Amino acid sequence: MTALDQRTRHAPTKLERRYRLLLLAYPRRYRHSHGDELLDVLMESARPGRAVPEAREVAGLVAGGMRARVMALSSGSAWAGGVHLGVTAVSAANLAALLPYAGTIPLWVALSALSLLTILRGRVRLSLPLVLLTGVKAVSLAGGWPVLGLTLLPVYPSFLTREPLFATGNPIATASVYALTLLGLVALSARSEPAGRRSWWWWAVVPLLAWAGPAWMSDDALYPLSLSRVVAEFAVLGLAVIGGHLARDPRWGIAAAIYFLSVSTQFCAHLYLDEMALSEQHLAYWAALAVLTIAASLTSQGQRSRLTMLR
Amino acid sequence: MARGTSEVSEPMFFVLTALLGGPLHGHAISKSIQDLSGGRVRPSVGTLYGILERLHERGVIVVDREETVNGRNRRYFRITDDGQALVEAEARRMQQAASLVLRPTTGGAHATALA
Repeated sequence: MTALDQRTRHAPTKLERRYRLLLLAYPRRYRHSHGDELLDVLMESARPGRAVPEAREVAGLVAGGMRARVMALSSGSAWAGGVHLGVTAVSAANLAALLPYAGTIPLWVALSALSLLTILRGRVRLSLPLVLLTGVKAVSLAGGWPVLGLTLLPVYPSFLTREPLFATGNPIATASVYALTLLGLVALSARSEPAGRRSWWWWAVVPLLAWAGPAWMSDDALYPLSLSRVVAEFAVLGLAVIGGHLARDPRWGIAAAIYFLSVSTQFCAHLYLDEMALSEQHLAYWAALAVLTIAASLTSQGQRSRLTMLR
Repeated sequence: MARGTSEVSEPMFFVLTALLGGPLHGHAISKSIQDLSGGRVRPSVGTLYGILERLHERGVIVVDREETVNGRNRRYFRITDDGQALVEAEARRMQQAASLVLRPTTGGAHATALA
């Protein structure tokens, strides 16, 4: 029996346990197929008696795992994957807009959550009526019209914010976002291939988008943007840039463009319909979203196609 | 003729060069890269397998066979004809680039020009 065999088969060392933990960076399917192979090489490369993984191995496994995850997400039609990803992001934002009011309109928040769940699971046809119903109710609440049951206005929040529902919104802005979601879902429903499944991590984004803190803009801002929302959006778009760069796949740019379009539509509605002056902070936020969206689109160009020429 | 050889990173070049001698598994490739580069190129295991997956996707290497060692699967990678053409094209490109700097001086003309 070799030293490696003793080290790794019978008495898992601290080092092996730590490497196994690091291998969680890789997608489950990849771990199942090649995890032991990587572990074998890691253990063979390690100095005897070492208990802590080398920093460069840690960095390599994290980066390799991220790349493997991105590549796993980059299979199939790029446009369909991009539209699905973009619609998922917009639906998460739609749920976030309603979430703080769960105490007053629990049915509609639950329906919105169910919409997101069906989209995440790739059940786009099932999600269509759910999004339509939620959208109609959301637009009616933003416009103050009694549709699909009476709701006492304004709708006050239970948590995460102090602003009443759609206090700074208008029905056109709300309708445009839901219309964009429905358009994407209709396009996906027309395909014969099923949409893939999305990560459960999208649920973690929802409360960050919904939370009105920490304070960033002045209290009298007409369309306040919370710092938690800004950070969450930048982080997700940053991941799209990394995804586009690693996979050289346009889906990340398409998804970022859909989300950017939804935010821009709302901005335009506030700007022209509410005649609201956007602050420098609003413009800086919008410009940063634009830069990240362009970066996600541009980084997907280039190397993959150039490398294909090598064949 | 392979094109776009400037897209071959240094670790990729050494992986392909290591495989010119025959099929190797991950750890052997890692050791071979270190030997070939005099210890200068030492990709981490995550980086090495990222390179192997990328080269495999591009069809410049393939899995030659799989063996089970100590109850664990071990893939042996083999360079393809495309891969061989690619690494040779890259070597020629580097040779041409090196010759621009390292060409032998004739009659001291080059040295005089520089003086």
